[in-house]
Amino acid sequence: MFFKIDKNSIVQTDKIVGILFIIPAAIVIFGIMGIPFLRAVYLSFTDKVVGRPEEFIGLQNYITLFKDMTYWKVVKNTIIYTTGGVGVKLILGMILALVLNQRFVGRGFFRTVLLLPWALPGMVAAMTWRWMYDSTYGIINSILLSLNIIEMPIPWLSLPSITLYTVMVVNIWRGVPFFLFSLLGGLQTIDGQMYEAAYVDGAGAIRQFFAITLPSIGNILKITTLLSLIWTFNDFENVFLVTGGGPLYSSSVISTYTYDLALIQNSFGASLAAAVSVVPLLIMIIFLSAKAKAN
Amino acid sequence: MVISKKSKVIKYGLTYGILGISLIFTLFPFYWMVKSSLTINKEMYLPRPQLIPTTITFDHYISLFKETQFMRNMYNSLYIATITTVVCLVISILGSYALTRLRFPLRKFLGQSIIVSYLLPTAVLFIPMYVAVSALGFNDNKNGLLIIYPTFVVPYCCYMLNSYFKAVPYSLEEAAMIDGCNRFMSMVKVVLPIAAPGIAVVATFAFTMCWNEYLYALIMTTSPLQQTVTVGISSFKFSDHAIWGLIMSASVIASLPVVILYVLAQSWLISGHADGGVK
Repeated sequence: MFFKIDKNSIVQTDKIVGILFIIPAAIVIFGIMGIPFLRAVYLSFTDKVVGRPEEFIGLQNYITLFKDMTYWKVVKNTIIYTTGGVGVKLILGMILALVLNQRFVGRGFFRTVLLLPWALPGMVAAMTWRWMYDSTYGIINSILLSLNIIEMPIPWLSLPSITLYTVMVVNIWRGVPFFLFSLLGGLQTIDGQMYEAAYVDGAGAIRQFFAITLPSIGNILKITTLLSLIWTFNDFENVFLVTGGGPLYSSSVISTYTYDLALIQNSFGASLAAAVSVVPLLIMIIFLSAKAKAN
Repeated sequence: MVISKKSKVIKYGLTYGILGISLIFTLFPFYWMVKSSLTINKEMYLPRPQLIPTTITFDHYISLFKETQFMRNMYNSLYIATITTVVCLVISILGSYALTRLRFPLRKFLGQSIIVSYLLPTAVLFIPMYVAVSALGFNDNKNGLLIIYPTFVVPYCCYMLNSYFKAVPYSLEEAAMIDGCNRFMSMVKVVLPIAAPGIAVVATFAFTMCWNEYLYALIMTTSPLQQTVTVGISSFKFSDHAIWGLIMSASVIASLPVVILYVLAQSWLISGHADGGVK
C-alpha cells in the first residue's frame, strides 16, 4: 500500500511556508522600493529642496515643466534614445544571431568575442568611447582624417545636432550582444527539420525567416526587447559620462535631466515631477512593443 | 539538401564579411582602452594619435596603485557586489520557490508586483532612496548601497528563477515528500540541484549588475574611501581635465573580473538565458 499523505495538512503548511518564504522579497519590493516610489509621487507635488521641509504646491511643478521647452526636448530625446536604440540593437542582434547560428570555422571564437561589450561595465564603455570621440586627441577623427573621409575633425561631443546619436552609438555597441545571445539561444532550439520541409515546399530564405524563425523565437524576442527597453530607458552613465547631456540639453535624456534638476539645481520637487511624468510614456512604449510583437 | 557551389561561396563570403565588420567594431574600443593605458603621455596627447604605440609604459598602472585609492575602490566593489549577490540569491530563491510551487494568499498579486517593480524607472526612485538611506545614517557610506541594490537585483533574479523552477517537474518533489522530506528539504535536495545551472547564470548577472552600477554609487558616496570602482574611475580628473592614462588603466583592471566571469560562464549564459525566455 502507498503511504497516505494528509492533503489538508500539506495545504496548510504550504500556506505558512509560502508566506514565510515570500516575506523577504516582499520587504524589498514594498518596503525599500514601494514606499520611496509613493514618496516620490508625493514629493513631485511639493517644492522640496535639499535640507528644507517640503510644502505642498499642487500641480505647480508639472505646469512649470510642461511650459519648459527643455523638458519637451528631453522627452523627445528619451523617445529617440530608447526606441531607436532598441530598434537598432534588435536588428543588428538578429542579423548576428542568424549568422552565428550557422556552422562555420571559428564559430566558438566569434561567439566569445562578440559577447565582450556586454560584460564591460557601462561606465568603462562610456569613458573609452568618450576618449575615442575626443575632438582633438580622439582616434575616430584621426582615422577618418587619414582615410580622407572628412576634411575637418568632427566635434562629436559638442555639436548639438549630432550628440544624441554620438551617445546612442555607445549604447548600441554595448547592447547588441544581449540581443545576439538571447536570440541565438532561441534559434538553437528550433528543429532543423522544419527548414528542410519548407525548402522542399519551395519556400525561400526570407519566407522561411518569417514563417518559421520569427514565430519560433517570438517569446524570447518579446522578453529580450522588454528588458532592453527598460535598461535603455534607465541608462544614465552613458549619457552622463560621454556628453553630460549637453551641449544645451541636446543629448539629455530623462535620467540625466532629473539628475541635473535634483543634484545640480537642488530642486527635488521639479526633478521628481519630470521623472514621474514620463512613467506613462515608459508604460506606453512597453505596451506598444508588446502589442507589435503580438501581431 | 543540395545547395549550388556558387550560392555556398556567396553565403560564406557574406558570413565572414558581416563577422569581420562586427569584430572590428566590437574589439576596437577594447584595443584602444588597452593601448591608451600603455601609452606615454607625450604620445597620448598628440593631435593625430597613432594606431600603434611606438613605446610602451606601465607608468599609468604604477601611479594608479601608488597615488590613488583605486585598490580601496576595487575592494569596495567586491564587498558590495558579493554581499548583495549572496543575500539577493537567498531572498530570490525563497521567493521564487514560493511563487512557483506553493499556494498561499496574495500569491498572484505578489508575483505581479515583483515584475511591475522592475519597470519603475530609476529616475523616479533615486531621489527618495537617497533621502531615505541618508536618513538611516548611511550618508557617504558604502553600506547604504547594500540596502539599495536589492531593489533592482531581487526582481530580476526572481523573474529569471521563476522560469527555472517551473521547469523542474513537480512529481520529483512529490516523490521526495512521500519519502519524508518536508518542503524546505525537498527544495534544497530536489529543486535547487536541478536548477543549479540556472542559478549560476542568475548569480553571474546579479554580481555584474552590482559591479557595474554607477548612478546610485555616484549619489550615495562622495569620499574616495567609500566609493566603488565605477565612481572612482570617473573621478580621475585634474581641474576638469580627465587624466586618460589613469582612467584607461583603471578601466582595464576594473573590467577584468566581469569579463573573465562572462567568458568562463559563456556556455551557460547562452543556453541559460534561452531557457529563461522560453517558459
